Amino acid sequence: MRPDLGRLLARYLLLGVGVLLLNFLIPRLLPGNPLSFSGGEGTDAAVPLSGAARAQLRAYYNLDEPLRLQFVRYLGDLGRGDLGWSIARPAPVREVILDRLPWTVALLLAALLFAAVVGTTLGVVAGWMPGGIRDRLLVSTAGALAAIPEFLIAIGLLLVFAVELGLFPLFGGRTVFADRDFGATGVARHAADVVWHLTLPAAALVLVNASGFLLLARDATVGVRHAPWLTAARAKGLRERDVARRHAVPNIALPLLTFFGLRLGAVLGGALVIERVFGVPGLGLLGYEAIRARDYPVLQALFLVSSVGVLAANLLMEIAYLRLACHRGQTRG
Amino acid sequence: MLFWLGCGLLAVFAAVAVLAPVLAPHNSRLPTGRPLAPPTRDHLLGTNDLGQDVLSQVIFGARSTLTVAGVVTGVSTALGWLVGLVAGFVRWTEAPLMAGTDLLLALPNLPLTLLVLTLLGASQRNLIAVLALLSWPAFARIVRGVVLQTRSAAFVEASRALGAPDLHIIRRHVLPATLDVLPTKLVLTVRFAIFAEATLAFLGVGGNGAMGWGGMLYWAFSDPLLFLRPGWPWLVLPPTLATAALVVATVWIGSGLAPVRPSAGRPAGR
Repeated sequence: MRPDLGRLLARYLLLGVGVLLLNFLIPRLLPGNPLSFSGGEGTDAAVPLSGAARAQLRAYYNLDEPLRLQFVRYLGDLGRGDLGWSIARPAPVREVILDRLPWTVALLLAALLFAAVVGTTLGVVAGWMPGGIRDRLLVSTAGALAAIPEFLIAIGLLLVFAVELGLFPLFGGRTVFADRDFGATGVARHAADVVWHLTLPAAALVLVNASGFLLLARDATVGVRHAPWLTAARAKGLRERDVARRHAVPNIALPLLTFFGLRLGAVLGGALVIERVFGVPGLGLLGYEAIRARDYPVLQALFLVSSVGVLAANLLMEIAYLRLACHRGQTRG
Repeated sequence: MLFWLGCGLLAVFAAVAVLAPVLAPHNSRLPTGRPLAPPTRDHLLGTNDLGQDVLSQVIFGARSTLTVAGVVTGVSTALGWLVGLVAGFVRWTEAPLMAGTDLLLALPNLPLTLLVLTLLGASQRNLIAVLALLSWPAFARIVRGVVLQTRSAAFVEASRALGAPDLHIIRRHVLPATLDVLPTKLVLTVRFAIFAEATLAFLGVGGNGAMGWGGMLYWAFSDPLLFLRPGWPWLVLPPTLATAALVVATVWIGSGLAPVRPSAGRPAGR
């Protein structure tokens, strides 16, 4: 296991360096630069700057240094947690991001957990009797759901449950202008309010992502259905449901875990879009606002934070996979 | 059966896109009616907040969506193929090419796309470029896998033993092998491009030039009072249903093709 872990860490270290390099290089290598607002030399520029003034500005922002030195400076800033200042808001980018991060993380975790549980359960149900009516129904529903873009599903839910039925709020993460009394009841009411606001976005995410779990769990279940150890479990006199839950599910958990990790980037993308539909004040809405305001530092930080987050989660997932696989290998000889 | 249904649906969309100027009752860019009007005989799907005809916008939107999907798929497939072939054949390029592929596969696509598109400036051309440049890695990996597999197959070894030059082996044995996975890749990438174009336009980086269905939704949702307007279904439903129908067409086509299981375990379109 040791060499595997070492190689894994090295691989993720490389990927992490890749992310930092991309985040550093993208704004610098794409056309345009921080001084291009002055539109070239001379009097036709929007903000005419003399050559000397431009040079002074470049020197002030260290843009005249070679890329290598700029990169070192950039790493130093990152090390201090300095992500720059937002263009559109009077706040450091770090604060803006930290302010929004909990919303996205809560939405993602809740939705993924539900999607995994619901999807796996239904997948096992479908795969237990392949070709049966339940199997065909579940698989075709999952296929249909996977075929529709996230934001369309989100819009559909919004139209039905918020606009027509009025069961859920149209917009936002909490009730605006609500009384903010403190103390136990106030906190509980506030939490309930947030949950009420996040239900629809989370449901949209669950709908989108459960289908993947369902299809994978189904295939895995079909694969192990006739395994001798399941026959043994049945021979012990276990009920069919217990055979599935106690013996089949733990054995198909590993591929599902891998799938979980691999999907994370795509799931995050879906969450960002869904936040825009429902106005959940998380990173996705922040990104949308940043696009409108051309808030480059915020978008850059958004890329960095989400990439590092996804990489870190994947790394944890793979370590868990290694441990689980190792553990199973030992117990089963 | 579903395969042909999907093909038919896609053909209808393509015909609409090609014949847009003939089919559209109005100029989709000009205000031609009262703003936010419900459907009338003149405006079958009503008008938006600028008084533009929604039906004409949907018809011209097919153009924008299919253009993006077509070009992205072409470029992405060519790139993935090239990278996969080179990585599979030229030993020293394998490590760096696959490292780049891994990096692009590991990163969440959307934030990267948003960053690059905002820096470059939102436009359809840039959107196509970014999507094409982000969607080749999975296919590159599959092609490389096929190349490696074919290269060590017995019949290729035999061919080599008979003195066949590398070029002959590539042309006669390896290229045909990679062709098997091509149809699936095409369908998945078309679907990915439709998804991505609609999503990105919805988030506001689709550019102002050619408006697709995602762009229509973007403008509809920019109105904070959207759902208080009596005619909101006419702004939201047509682009939504059009996108869904197009995606369903690609799924139906895909269901008629042999499934390919990419080694990375994620949709090959990414």
